[in-house]
Formats: sequence, C-alpha cells, structure tokens
Amino acid sequence: MSTITDSMNTINSLEEMAEGNTIIHRLHPMVKLMTTMLYLVLVISFNPYNITGLMVFAFYPVILMALAEIPYKPLLKRLLVALPFSFFAGLSNIIFNQQLALMIGPVPISYGLISFTSIMVKTIFTVMAVLILIATTSLPKISYQLLSIKVPKIIVEQIMLTYRYISVLLEQVANMYTAYVLRAPASRGIKMKDMGIFVGQLLLKSFDRAESIYVAMKCRGYDGNYLYAKPSPIKKGDWLFLVLVSAILCLMRFFDLSLFIGSFL
Amino acid sequence: MHMADALVSPAVGGIMLAASAGAIAYSAYKCKDDLDEKKIPLMGVMGAVIFAGQMINFTIPGTGSSGHIGGGILLAALLGPFPAFLALTAVLLIQALFFADGGLLALGANIWNLGFYACLLVYPFVFKPIVKKGLTPTRISVASVVSVMLALTLGAISVVIQTLASGITELPMATFMGMMIPIHLAIGLVEGIVTGGILVFIYKMRPELLESSMDNKKLPKNLSIQKVLGVLLVFAIVVGGGLSLLASSNPDGLEWSMENVAGTAELETSGNAYDSAAGIQESTAFLPDYGFKSTDGEGSAAGTSVSGIIGAGITLILAGGTGYLIYAVKRRKEKTA
Repeated sequence: MSTITDSMNTINSLEEMAEGNTIIHRLHPMVKLMTTMLYLVLVISFNPYNITGLMVFAFYPVILMALAEIPYKPLLKRLLVALPFSFFAGLSNIIFNQQLALMIGPVPISYGLISFTSIMVKTIFTVMAVLILIATTSLPKISYQLLSIKVPKIIVEQIMLTYRYISVLLEQVANMYTAYVLRAPASRGIKMKDMGIFVGQLLLKSFDRAESIYVAMKCRGYDGNYLYAKPSPIKKGDWLFLVLVSAILCLMRFFDLSLFIGSFL
Repeated sequence: MHMADALVSPAVGGIMLAASAGAIAYSAYKCKDDLDEKKIPLMGVMGAVIFAGQMINFTIPGTGSSGHIGGGILLAALLGPFPAFLALTAVLLIQALFFADGGLLALGANIWNLGFYACLLVYPFVFKPIVKKGLTPTRISVASVVSVMLALTLGAISVVIQTLASGITELPMATFMGMMIPIHLAIGLVEGIVTGGILVFIYKMRPELLESSMDNKKLPKNLSIQKVLGVLLVFAIVVGGGLSLLASSNPDGLEWSMENVAGTAELETSGNAYDSAAGIQESTAFLPDYGFKSTDGEGSAAGTSVSGIIGAGITLILAGGTGYLIYAVKRRKEKTA
C-alpha cells in the first residue's frame, strides 16, 4: 500500500536529515522555531495582489537548505503533495476575478491570476519553511521546547508517544493490509463493509499493545510523570542568529527587491 | 480538509490558534483531574492508530472512489472527549510538521475544525445522548452516522468562513458553501457508516472498552433533547460571536468577500476593482504604513507591474543562485579538507 510505505519513508528520511550536523542543525531549537514562525507570519501577511514583494522571501528557504545541506528532491516531493489543495482554492480566483491588472506584451494578466500566483508562492514558501524546520530539528527537541513555553505536559507526552508509535502502527497496518489483499486479490483496497472489522481488529490489538506499554513503563518506574532532560540553554550565537535573521526578515517585508530590480529595467 | 498556511491570514490564524489553545488548556486541565495514568500510553497509541488508520483507503461501493476515516468521533468514543481531543491535537501537529498536511500557523484552525467539533461538541452533545439509554448496535450506528456527518459539516463551514475571513479566495460565499457542504455531508455519511461499523465491532468483541469511556463522565439522567438543542444553540451563539470578533479584527476581508458575493455579476463591468484592490491592500496589509501606495506612478496598481514581475523573476534567480553558491563553496571546502 503505497501511502503507508510512502509516509514511513517520509518520516525516516526527515528523521535522518535531522541527524545532520551543520550550522543550522546546531542552532537552538527554540531559535529555529521562532524564526520559522516569524517567517510564516511575514509571508502570509502579504496581500493577495502583491507578488513582487513576496519573491524576496525565496532567499530564506534556499539559503537555509544550502546551509543545512538538505537535499532538494525529498523536500520537493513533499511539496508536490501539499500543492493541489491550494491549487484548487486559488483556481477559483482566476475564474471569479477577471479584472485586468496589466498587460505583459499582448498577454492580459488579471487580478485573479495574480492572487492565484500569490497563493501558490505562499504555499511553496510556507511548506518549505516548515519542512526545513523539521529536517533540521528532531521532533523530540521541538517538543521539549514546547514545555518551556508552558504547553501542558500531557500534550507534549501525547506528541512524543504518538510519534514513537506511528512507525510501529504503520508497519502493523501495512502487514494487515497485505494479509487482506492476499485473501482478496481482486479488490482494489479494502471493501467498505470490511472496514469495521479491519480497523476494529487494529484497535483491539492496539488496546493490548497500550496495556503492555503501560506495564513496561510501570516496570521502569513510571508514576504518571514523564521525566525529561533539561533542555540546553540558548547560547550567544543562537541569540545572534535570532536577532540577525529576524531583522533581515523584517527588512525583506519592507523592502521590495523585485520592484527595486525592476526599476532598473 | 486540512488548511494550509497560505490559505489563512495572520489574524485568522492567530485567533484560531488562541481558540484552540484555550480548548487544549481546558482539556489538559480536565484530564489532569480525572485521568488514570494508564490512559496516557493508551492515548499515545490511539493517536498513532488514527494516524495510521487515516491511510487505510477503502472502496466505496457503486462509486469507484475510495475514502478514509477521519477519526475524531471514533477517538472520542474510545477515549472520552477530552483525551481524544488532546490525542487528535498531537496527530495534527505531527501531520503538519512531517507531511505538510496543514500548516503551522493554520494548526489552530485545523485543530478547531477537525478536533474541537468532533470531540468536544458533537460527541458529548449528540453522540452520547443518542446512546445514553444503553448501547445497542443500532444506536451506536445511528449515533456514529449522525455525529460524523454533523462534525464534518461544521468543520467544512468553518473552513469556508476562515478562508473567506482571511480574504484569500474570491469564491463567493454561497458558491463555496454550496460546494463544501454537500461534499462533506456525503463524506460524513460514508465515514459515519464505517465509524459505526468499527464501534459495533469493538462493542461486540470487548464491550467494556466502549462502556468505560461512556462512564467516564456520567450524563445527567434527565438530559432531554430540548436541553441538547439549547446547548447547541449556546454553542452556535458563542461560535458566531467568536466569528464576528474575527470579522471585526479583519473587517475588510469579510466585507470584501461579501461584496464579491453580492456583486460577482457586475465585477467585470464595474471598473472599480482597481480601487477596491488598493483598498484591500491597504486594509489587509500586516503593516499598513508600508505598501505600494507609497511607490509612485506607473506600476503601483496594487504593487504589480511588468517591471515588477520581471524583477520578481530576477529575485528568484538570485535566491537560487545564492543557494547554489553556498552549496558550491561547501563542496569545495569538503574537497580541500
């Protein structure tokens, strides 16, 4: 079943990337989380008809990917999966707003087309930023940071446990699916009437699994509280990066490089 | 139905993050009170089950298409509303980070649309009252179908409102609703039947699993349908109030979409799109003092001009070139090292 192996591969490859040791990987997770959020807010704050100002934000993902030595292909593949929804949301703009904005030679460009482009570019940028964050910072590291911004412990535990067991469960589902398909080679996918039993079995097995996990945790001294290592402090270099990148990002929001370059033409 | 970052405005994303954070904080507080420590690993595993379960595609008879489960109602029926909401939050966060399934800023909206309605609204006020007289396969099935359909539709309506309030799409509200609601009712019907099937199976095999979550919070005995409707009404008012708050924080986004709804027919002949576009830009800009209105003369039509577009192309090439340069320098360093 391709979606399951596909998602297992995605998690594995992102986990592997997060193991890297580059200048970006070594940055404090909190700093990366904050710059990513700032980047997202700034990118989506552009109004739908301003695509020239938006373009300068391409520097951030490109430079970060190069510095962090993240390979392009897996990230672009993930990006393609995320695009269709935005594509359809944006497509309506082309249909509903045909007001002429400008002419490029003989080609008329409508406001709808401009806002469509804006949605697609924003999607690409925001998805890239989030993927870069997770490709340079492992989920446990991000989760621990959540504790320091007062996210309830139970949520962090949820994230960690769910994350831990996703690969186990995916494997189990893949096995069950193979078993099903071997018995029903003619059917494409699972028949709807069998879903109750299929997922029901999965749930029953998982209840038992949770029971044994609980027992195993109990044996290791679990008393309802998770123990965490204290996260490392933010260093001077991290502060410098945070201030510098935030300043550059804000500058980029104010300064339209595209129009500046265009003004020379 | 996961919303991407590019489809929300900072205001809408922020308000929904705050709303979901409130719901999460409340759920965490409720869980602290009456959560058995045994349930924590169970919640984690169930979150992973829902994650994996969403990838099981089943064939829908007679249509040739396939569907998958969403899992909000299912999770609530197995864990209880508050633990289910927290588990679903964790799943949505992981999906956003690893799979670009919904954005980080849009996470609040997604938690609200996919988790809040199912776990904290529909489950306690629709599902539970239907099965309160005792669990039977019929009641479980009916409750599942009704609940999943309702939760999905509420989510779909929210997606429409959030997108329109963000001023992203130019789709008129009526058309957008007309597209989203029927589709989600149909999806809800199918998903509800499957959810019912799963719960009935669990009920037959291990009835104590369902009943224990039912007992988790005892319902008042005299809970009548009027009361349920009353609660739904209060929720509607609260949500409506929240939305108008959201609208007032970004008034022109909504106004603008309203304008579009009312005036799509004349759009092409009205000729005031230039003004309204400039108005939109002014009002939706994150930092309103900055904008293209300050750049002079030609090409300031909401910031887009031929030279600007060419400039944008050059900017992209420059960005790509910078990345390539860093790669090249790094590679050379590696070679010499």
